[in-house]
Amino acid sequence: MAAPYPPKPIRIWVTPPGPNPWKAVFLFEELGLNYELKPFRFDDVKKKPFIDVNPNGRTPAIEDPNTNLTLWESGAIYQYVIEVYDKENRLAYDSFHERHLCNQWLHFQMSGQGPYWGQAGWFQHLHHEKIPSAVERYCNEIRRVLGVIERVLADKPADAQWLVGNKMTFADMAWLPWNFRLSEVMLLSWDEVWEGLPHVRAWHEKMAALPSWQRCIEIRGRLMEAQGLQWNGVPKGIETFTEYEKKIAEGEDTTALQH
Amino acid sequence: MTEAKSDIHLYTDQTANGIKISMLLEELGVPYKVTAIDISKNTQKEPWFLEINPNGRIPALTDTFTDGSPIRLFESGSIMQYLVDRYDTEHKVSYPRGTREYWEVNNWLFWQMGGLGPMQGQANHFARYAPEKIQYAIDRYQNETRRLYRVMETQLSKSTSGYLVGDKCTVADLACWGWVAGSNWAGVSLDDFPHLNAWLDRVLARPGVERGRHVPKKHTALENRHKTEEEMDKEAGKTRAWVQQSMAADAKK
Repeated sequence: MAAPYPPKPIRIWVTPPGPNPWKAVFLFEELGLNYELKPFRFDDVKKKPFIDVNPNGRTPAIEDPNTNLTLWESGAIYQYVIEVYDKENRLAYDSFHERHLCNQWLHFQMSGQGPYWGQAGWFQHLHHEKIPSAVERYCNEIRRVLGVIERVLADKPADAQWLVGNKMTFADMAWLPWNFRLSEVMLLSWDEVWEGLPHVRAWHEKMAALPSWQRCIEIRGRLMEAQGLQWNGVPKGIETFTEYEKKIAEGEDTTALQH
Repeated sequence: MTEAKSDIHLYTDQTANGIKISMLLEELGVPYKVTAIDISKNTQKEPWFLEINPNGRIPALTDTFTDGSPIRLFESGSIMQYLVDRYDTEHKVSYPRGTREYWEVNNWLFWQMGGLGPMQGQANHFARYAPEKIQYAIDRYQNETRRLYRVMETQLSKSTSGYLVGDKCTVADLACWGWVAGSNWAGVSLDDFPHLNAWLDRVLARPGVERGRHVPKKHTALENRHKTEEEMDKEAGKTRAWVQQSMAADAKK
């Protein structure tokens, strides 16, 4: 077996339910990097020790003992890992032009996908009252953004169905974890999600089938189970997210409720 | 050097995202041309613009690339990374690639792109533009904006330079500035954030920022500090109609 690379494992802090921590793990898996997961409960994102790792209290965050650097925000982590550890440019380009185009799509994912998919999911599932106009606002935005990618991919040759150039890069990978949840987010069947978006669907499904992503799903499943979480991230024994948040605010031990 | 001459062309309007780029260009002292895009007339949805940014949003930028052919860029964060990578060789508002500060600037740049911008944008939407007043949604996004300001406040309170990262003003500060300057429009007061307030003025005092914030027209967000809720609401009424129209048009596509 080849020596682990980098020599010391990079620690990735993850809370299992949300898509963003898995965006980081996906990249580590795909590059075959030496990492260790630091799974913890959502209850503790705003508490020590994690709040000292990321002042914003959100996952993922990484600690790299090889460079003695702590980083948060999944997009910043992507750029770092690619630049420092993808020396052969397996998932990137070394040409200046393509490098910036990859970053462009990564920024679009960070500002255009994550926040809106997240708001749709919130109003669809986690918020206690139904506000149709809010659900509609965010589902429309999802459709619009997917439509942008559809047009871009449709204009590209069949053997280059990737956002930049003719191979999968980190800019494509960044989109996968949230899109993987689209059925839940939009409350639609898988076929309905992709209606009118054949190129985006093919692009997504190609990535979802990768062994690296399959491992992410499998690890996530195990951690969800170990933390006793329901599909929506709420611990078993608690009805709603509102109730969960209330218990966290009151400092209640939500692990105790499962037994 | 055989490198092709740059030819920066910025397509922008007077928004928190737009002025990030003009402020950066002014800070760098790099020449650029400007085309004012009137987003209220949906110029950014016209085919020629979609050729530059398929997402139909400002800012967008074109340049002559080092190989002599054109490059088109969109997403303000990505444009900022491009500009400092190519033009900030003296590291006026950035740090050398690979340094600790370089990566820490990236934390805040992405934090602004994925957190502060979208969430404060939603506060603007529900507080000013939505056809119905949904108190829950207004509260949700104003509270989140306030939480994000608090994160910045804490960072700035620990900073010896008064800027977000290291010993100088960087693209991280420039990216956040227009949003924080627009806090009142989102209905969030800066009264509880003394370090953030001081930072706002510190960045504002920079000549490059002062020149860049008025591109392509006068920056008026700070004047909202002296307006009442009613006055801002009345002003929002003017734009509310086109926001609704373009949302409806987008939903059909």
